[in-house]
Amino acid sequence: MSLFNTDRDFSIISKMIPSRSKIIDVGCGDGSLLDYLIKKKNIDGRGLEIDQDKIRECLAKGISAIQGDADIDLIDYPDKSFDYSILTYTLQATKRPKKVLEELVRISNKAIVSFPNFGYWKIRMSLLLNGKMPVSNELSYSWHETPNLHFCTIYDFIDLCEATDIKIEKKVNLKKNVIQSYNNKEWFENFFSGSGMFLISKK
Amino acid sequence: MSNNKIIDLGSSEDPLVLDCGKSIGPIKTAFTTYGELNETKSNAILVCHALTGDQYVASEHPITKKDGWWSLLIGPEKSIDTNKYFVICPNVIGGCMGSTGPNEINPKTGKEYGLDFPVVTIGDMVKAQKLLIDSFGIEKLFSVIGGSMGGMLVLEWLSKFPSYVFSAIPIATTTNHSAQNIALNELARQAIMADPEWKSGNYNIENTKPVKGLSVARMAAHISYLSEQSLHEKFGRNLQNKNKIEFSFDADFQVESYLRHQGFKFVDRFDANSYLYITRAMDYFDLKAENNGSLIEAFKNTNSHILCASFTSDWLYPTSENKVIIKAFNALGLNVSFVEIETDNGHDSFLLDEPEFFQTIKGFLDATYKKL
Repeated sequence: MSLFNTDRDFSIISKMIPSRSKIIDVGCGDGSLLDYLIKKKNIDGRGLEIDQDKIRECLAKGISAIQGDADIDLIDYPDKSFDYSILTYTLQATKRPKKVLEELVRISNKAIVSFPNFGYWKIRMSLLLNGKMPVSNELSYSWHETPNLHFCTIYDFIDLCEATDIKIEKKVNLKKNVIQSYNNKEWFENFFSGSGMFLISKK
Repeated sequence: MSNNKIIDLGSSEDPLVLDCGKSIGPIKTAFTTYGELNETKSNAILVCHALTGDQYVASEHPITKKDGWWSLLIGPEKSIDTNKYFVICPNVIGGCMGSTGPNEINPKTGKEYGLDFPVVTIGDMVKAQKLLIDSFGIEKLFSVIGGSMGGMLVLEWLSKFPSYVFSAIPIATTTNHSAQNIALNELARQAIMADPEWKSGNYNIENTKPVKGLSVARMAAHISYLSEQSLHEKFGRNLQNKNKIEFSFDADFQVESYLRHQGFKFVDRFDANSYLYITRAMDYFDLKAENNGSLIEAFKNTNSHILCASFTSDWLYPTSENKVIIKAFNALGLNVSFVEIETDNGHDSFLLDEPEFFQTIKGFLDATYKKL
């Protein structure tokens, strides 16, 4: 998936993370985010990635990465193994998003999660006007070949957190590039945001 | 040209104390090296061989005249670049290519050890390797790498001499043999001992050779190194130089002929008693049991950069066994990486031309070297 705005997301994630934190990037891809955070914040980083070619790229960058599946392999990490876990644009591709989120807040003190927001007005319009599953630059797969299994809206994500043992600590306004404290659902965020990013922890 | 060297380590006054309680000293270690040890002695890579491997890792084997068993991986400008790294590969004790083992002369009696040779363990092999490393004045190995039994030796290094290991690559291995692994080794040992030419281990003294037993042992083991898929693709039910079955017990099928060839080829270069001793060492290896059931305990002082690798079609040391190791490393928060290489070549994959596997090793080593 062409990832929204890498530079913007990297820099905002870096702002949320204290220097020298111990971090796992779940679905770390080629390790670019970890590499960025190592250089910028001197973090101690680990990656989990399903694609072996990407693991090789991580290793060549000097980043430790384990070939594995977020749905299966997170259970192998003890509680509070990390200060932060990061899951960028991967939640929608997991088989059991609820379980994955619960695992993230178990293995780390805090988790940063971002995902494409299906409540975004352009996606709503696309489905309304075209009557077809939305395909855009950000969501570039046709419905029959997409690796994405569980799309949600920002509302859905918040509802899931409330229904489980997960506390939303911060929300990120990716448009304005600011980190804000979370109080309530805001309809306009669900309507105007192409993606959602939250800092969560265990209640 | 052979670069084989043999060194005496320890002495009768300062012998190697084995896990079984007996001592041997001095011990002989045969080894080869490639590349140059740098001034700070920081570029050394110890390569640990598997059950039937030896020190000829990247140079021609004196008996088979074939290239070294990892010559695809190790050499100038190869994945383990000997222009950059200094590679050391010793023959394990208990082996049969010049290191102290059952077919060497017992200095106390002046006769060949045979079954008087003490039962050695993976731990003993590593203690002997450590003496060799000390003899070079190396205080930290840049990397220790090995597959199968070689992987066990790597894990033993990580557990017993963690401060000597900057990085480690255990491949297609386990922290302890399963019942199935032991069963397969027992099959091989029984095949050797059932051969009347084995003569209770005294075949060299009695001028015989348990050729049949050792080759059956090799045949059985060889099946376990391959996958069902690779056997099927190589041979299927194809017949050997004939059009129809002959209602006999000759090698009708290609796969039979292949296995017989593997068996007979093996006896030229390997010693039957060594096979007994080394398989025993593998069966006894159990990092978990010796640490009160905890692998976390086994590796608690480890701080190395680690790359583990397994192969999808390996049923001898399957990915699940390798993941047990990863789990312990993860629990300790170590810098551990893991890849599961997709291949039909079974356990033997680590010895074959697997470009993705080689690239993985190269990327890991070169990036880790920058962290020294």
